[in-house]
Amino acid sequence: MIAQLSRATPVLVQGIAGRMGRAHAALMRAYGTNIVAGVAARGDVAGVAARGEVAGVAARGDTAQIAGIPVFADCAAAVAATGAVASVALTPPAETLAAARDAFAAGIRLLVTVAEGVPVHDALCIGQAARAAGAVWVGASTPGLAIPGELKLGFLPDVALRPGPLGVMSKSGTLSYEVGWRLARAGLGQSLWVGVGGDPVKGVRFADLLPTFLADARTRAIVLVGEIGGTEEEDCAAAYAALGAAKPLFALIAGREAKEGVAMGHAGALVHGSSGTLAEKTRRLEAAGAFVFSTIEALVQRCVADFGVQTGG
Amino acid sequence: MLLIEADGKALFAEAGIRVPVGRLVREPALPADLGPGPFIVKAQLPAGGRGKAGLVRCCATQGDVAAALPALLGATHKGHPVAACLIEEPAAGTEQYLALMTDAASYGVRLIYHPQGGVDVEAAGTLAGTLCAPDPAAIDAAIAATIPDPMVAETARALGRLLLERELTLAEINPLFVGPEVCVAGDAKVVIDLNALPRQPRLAALIAARPDAYADAARKLASGFDYVEIDPGGSIGLLTTGAGLSMMLIDELVARGARPLNFCDIRTSMLRGSPARIVAALRWMTARPSLRVVLVNIFAGITDLGEFAALLADAIAQSPGLRVPVVARLVGRGAEAARQVLAERAPDVAVEDDLPAALARVAAAVAA
Repeated sequence: MIAQLSRATPVLVQGIAGRMGRAHAALMRAYGTNIVAGVAARGDVAGVAARGEVAGVAARGDTAQIAGIPVFADCAAAVAATGAVASVALTPPAETLAAARDAFAAGIRLLVTVAEGVPVHDALCIGQAARAAGAVWVGASTPGLAIPGELKLGFLPDVALRPGPLGVMSKSGTLSYEVGWRLARAGLGQSLWVGVGGDPVKGVRFADLLPTFLADARTRAIVLVGEIGGTEEEDCAAAYAALGAAKPLFALIAGREAKEGVAMGHAGALVHGSSGTLAEKTRRLEAAGAFVFSTIEALVQRCVADFGVQTGG
Repeated sequence: MLLIEADGKALFAEAGIRVPVGRLVREPALPADLGPGPFIVKAQLPAGGRGKAGLVRCCATQGDVAAALPALLGATHKGHPVAACLIEEPAAGTEQYLALMTDAASYGVRLIYHPQGGVDVEAAGTLAGTLCAPDPAAIDAAIAATIPDPMVAETARALGRLLLERELTLAEINPLFVGPEVCVAGDAKVVIDLNALPRQPRLAALIAARPDAYADAARKLASGFDYVEIDPGGSIGLLTTGAGLSMMLIDELVARGARPLNFCDIRTSMLRGSPARIVAALRWMTARPSLRVVLVNIFAGITDLGEFAALLADAIAQSPGLRVPVVARLVGRGAEAARQVLAERAPDVAVEDDLPAALARVAAAVAA
């Protein structure tokens, strides 16, 4: 589903009446994303209108609008009226499970949930619901994904987005912004950028994205921005080796100096015992043929050395 | 977040899992009504590897306990100070391994049982275990298929219900002492989900009761953002947003031989026009006499840096304890406005847009 995304893909925004929802619906549309619908409780829309918080809120007949985007009471109504196939849920963490169930029940094929702080046991339920529906879930705790120059689902910063040959996947938002921005400044952009998020239980994982990057003609190398905790980097290493290491994989992993037993900001960035350590992730990735860097600059220089000249920006 | 053993065992006992008779002490003096022994004295802190670090002592007599307590209390292991010790009567039986944990790949629960426990199987990730759905019936079925001993199976069912009801991500017993009549949890490794705390008042109460053992989590609950002290003798205070970038910054600083004091994910999008978070972070940093410089590093994707700079200037004005240089590396939306705000309101702040240049300024401030 991620590989088929384009400027034409009809997208809806769940939680569009909230502060985040209104702001990011407008920013995504400005980037080029085809936002066709919003979902919000009727009371939320009325509240926005009554407080006069944004221009262009109107309730005309049965269909309210926020900034010209028709707003529906649930995903089923939004999908029926607009044909949306992807959704970005800009809902608070405690409401994300309900939003996901609403989306999958309505037939949404790709769901991005950005909220940070979704409880792990809720994430288990979202994951099971996605599998049962045969849908793709990206998140939680993610800035979303983008195909630079085409669309973005979420809020990856425009300043770091640039079309180019690198497939980027990252647990951390900010660390990927820094990496993407420095690469973009050096003239190297991205074919597809997916924030998988910093939670321990999530939707799409690093290993799940490898086949997409390997099959995508625009992607010439893969940049993995990982961090301590969990086994995603290790699982990705195994998948990479099994898929024949067909494109270079450059990895940066944060958290060498993390404190054991404490989640470092991200709920998933937790080391206890020998599980989830940077040393183990590095060892497995290198054994699979990936290149692991210990500084942002070293990764950027290697990417520029290998791909900078040929693409010429 | 990992709980200390005593709190893990408190949850076990509430779930009907038998734990050794024990008591938690916070002072080095021998408790007056202690029995004759023998005892096991265990340092309480939320990190593994205590046995190998000498933080678990077998004490044959009260005299041995009296010698062990002052040695353990006040020790530090993996960045965690030992604020309490658990004095327990030793349990008897064969040592087994039992754990239940959430499984990210299957969206389920993994049950791991091994009839030989002990410290050698602490690398639980190397044990495959049995996967099942995250509901009581599926867990019970997995237990029935995996654990032949009815007494151990009963303990496992209680552990499974605890995992679901308290929304744990790991509940491990290693060793589980299995005797002829009872089985007893010799240790407790319990990882809780801080994101579930709003609906887990029992767990929130555990953390609130021990601000010394869970200083980082208590700070997060009180302030709403992450501030983790990495090195109490560190010289570089970090005022940063974003977990991954903050971690990477710490790694790169340490690799250069510098000593960052803390990890910080202040979450600029949640400041909501108040400098309170920045003031709190500066207060924690300046409480450490080793502080030499504060590095502000904000990559603003969405945040307006002009607004952030005004809050930073407010916070600096409200922080009389701040007597060290501040270097601010600001990049992204509104960076130019931020430079102007700081030039007017906090002209001593050195502003950079390039991270290596900011790090050079930090190194110079530490060396000065």
